[in-house]
Amino acid sequence: MTRGAEQPTDEDLVAAVLGGDRDRFGDLVERYQGRLVNYLFRLLRNAEDAHDLAQEVLVKVYQVLDRYDPQYRFSTWLFRIAQNAAIDQIRRRRLKLVSLRQEDGEGEGRDWDLPSPERGPYGDLRNRERGGAIQQAIDALPWEYRELIMLRHFGELPYEDIARLKQMPLGTVKNKLFRGRQMLKEKLQSFLSD
Amino acid sequence: MDRPDHMPFRDWLDLEADGCLAAEQRAALDQHLAVCADCRNERAELQQMLALLRSASITVGPEFRERVMASLPAAGWEARHPRTWTFPVAVCALLMAVGAGLLAASSRLGSAYSVAAAVSGMLRAVVMAGAGLITSSWRWIGMFASDKLSSPMSLTAFAVFVLCLNLLLVSLIRRRRGGEPQGLGAPSPPRADRRRHDPDQRERGGEPRDGR
Repeated sequence: MTRGAEQPTDEDLVAAVLGGDRDRFGDLVERYQGRLVNYLFRLLRNAEDAHDLAQEVLVKVYQVLDRYDPQYRFSTWLFRIAQNAAIDQIRRRRLKLVSLRQEDGEGEGRDWDLPSPERGPYGDLRNRERGGAIQQAIDALPWEYRELIMLRHFGELPYEDIARLKQMPLGTVKNKLFRGRQMLKEKLQSFLSD
Repeated sequence: MDRPDHMPFRDWLDLEADGCLAAEQRAALDQHLAVCADCRNERAELQQMLALLRSASITVGPEFRERVMASLPAAGWEARHPRTWTFPVAVCALLMAVGAGLLAASSRLGSAYSVAAAVSGMLRAVVMAGAGLITSSWRWIGMFASDKLSSPMSLTAFAVFVLCLNLLLVSLIRRRRGGEPQGLGAPSPPRADRRRHDPDQRERGGEPRDGR
């Protein structure tokens, strides 16, 4: 079940954890932490909340790991739990989903700062602008496109996993991603020539 | 952009960007790109846009893994794990080894009956010692209480207090063993009801948009 001799699959790691090797769960965490946090960050619009919720999700996943059905992909299962948790959190905390177009550059705006080689006052301003524009462009997408864009580009899920997760035909996923990217491209046009 | 002669190449550009383009499609796409400036431009823009999205990712430090691992509680399934039985099984194996050793030596030491009696006596002593330890702990508290609390009413109150402590202890053990998560969606079958829910819409109390 391993991919060649290199890396164990997610399912191998889950089996190892269930077999008593608790440290292997750390390997799963490492494998998914970046994708999970970035995906949740796009949903919650706050880096700290995204980290906290990602941790909560991974702990919950560990608690119910024996209920994981290996006939499904682990990533699909993980992101389904993450998505449900994020939606619950948004509803529970009644987050104000204020987009940057209504912001004055203070407060939550710092979360849109991007890691970038552009430094100095102008570079920082440009990064902030760019980060805000990306989030604004994503926010402006209809939800059915936005969620697929987030799953593909921040969760880094392959088409097949997204199709399973969203219970959509593979062709629909490809089509919606194509259309979503077209919309994004139009909205981010001014940044594409940079 | 939507001219029919650019299809299916525009779709293929997306597949190419995702690394999902088949070899024969790639060859056809390359041929088309060689003669179509529009599609070359489209491809460049798409790649720039994807790079822009990648640049918007936040970094997760290596300490995150440690944080998660440190916060892992004892899961319910761990209590049912075979490793839980390692210690009792090891104790039984040790006792059996001791018994077997004594039986093997019985020809020199005496009858098998006396050996069995010795093993049984040893087991009994172990059980009695454990029970005695528990009893004496509570008895010490009881003696202290009876010394300090003279009236039957205060003694009764103390007995109720001890009973509550026991119940609390039992409930804590049960909770630790049966820790099931609350508040998250069921991880098993996909939940169609949340399939296309827009958190923004939920936040506004409205229905999800349906753009299909």
